[in-house]
Amino acid sequence: MARRMKAAERRTSIIAVAKILFADKGYHGVSVDEIARRVGVSPAVLYQHFASKEALYEGVLDSIAAPRETYVEAALNGPDDFASVLSRMTHVFIDRVEQDPDYFRMELQSALEGGTEAKRFFASRWQSIADYIEYSLRELALVQRVSVVNERTATLLYQGLIREAVYNKCILNSERYKEVTLQELVRQLLQLFFHAVDYKA
Amino acid sequence: MNTIQHELDASGLNCPLPILRAKKTIATLSSGDVVKIIATDPGSVKDFEAFCRQTGNELISSAEADGKFEFQIRKN
Repeated sequence: MARRMKAAERRTSIIAVAKILFADKGYHGVSVDEIARRVGVSPAVLYQHFASKEALYEGVLDSIAAPRETYVEAALNGPDDFASVLSRMTHVFIDRVEQDPDYFRMELQSALEGGTEAKRFFASRWQSIADYIEYSLRELALVQRVSVVNERTATLLYQGLIREAVYNKCILNSERYKEVTLQELVRQLLQLFFHAVDYKA
Repeated sequence: MNTIQHELDASGLNCPLPILRAKKTIATLSSGDVVKIIATDPGSVKDFEAFCRQTGNELISSAEADGKFEFQIRKN
């Protein structure tokens, strides 16, 4: 007789299956019934673990996104200057996405679908780092350590650089950049970013 | 009752700014001194728990009222 799955194992297997389906078809492209069928349980069993489809989606993202504590650790462990902190936090993000690109696929899917729940989740994930850049650039401009730039536009520049690097390396597996690691590519892009805002260490 | 040697208002700031400010402030204090930190980011609760775990300082209290979070941390 097959051993009944323990609750934690069942939850893990639901997340694993849901992750693949959400990454492939987006939030709206997959139903709870389909996820349950693929896991081999009834929808009722799935709802015992996740109160709603939205809760399941968040559970999947939480399982693959870097935990908040990892960002805290990155922020604290090393020099406090803007470039060092931003570099360490960026590397936490890209290392995690490289480990599991489904996170980024889900972000792309959510942008195309335009659903509010998923979009809100990803916006909040970017917000910390965006706020950090905006706030730091404003402060650094006061002491002439960066040029006076529109800090919101500069933040968009940063996000564009990092997203594009991840997109080329982890989603497209682009031939053009195959000789360079994601980490090295991002290191170079960050240098270009700091140069663009005329950052003085 | 803990005597508060320093207050840090991190209202309106999101991670990592409150913890970076706290790190800088605590560096100026003596061992045993207490800093009170005010924050508005709900994520700061977990952040300051992690902050204390990683820096070895003591989180004496963590409370919330009217959307503001107050932390008291003793430098080790």
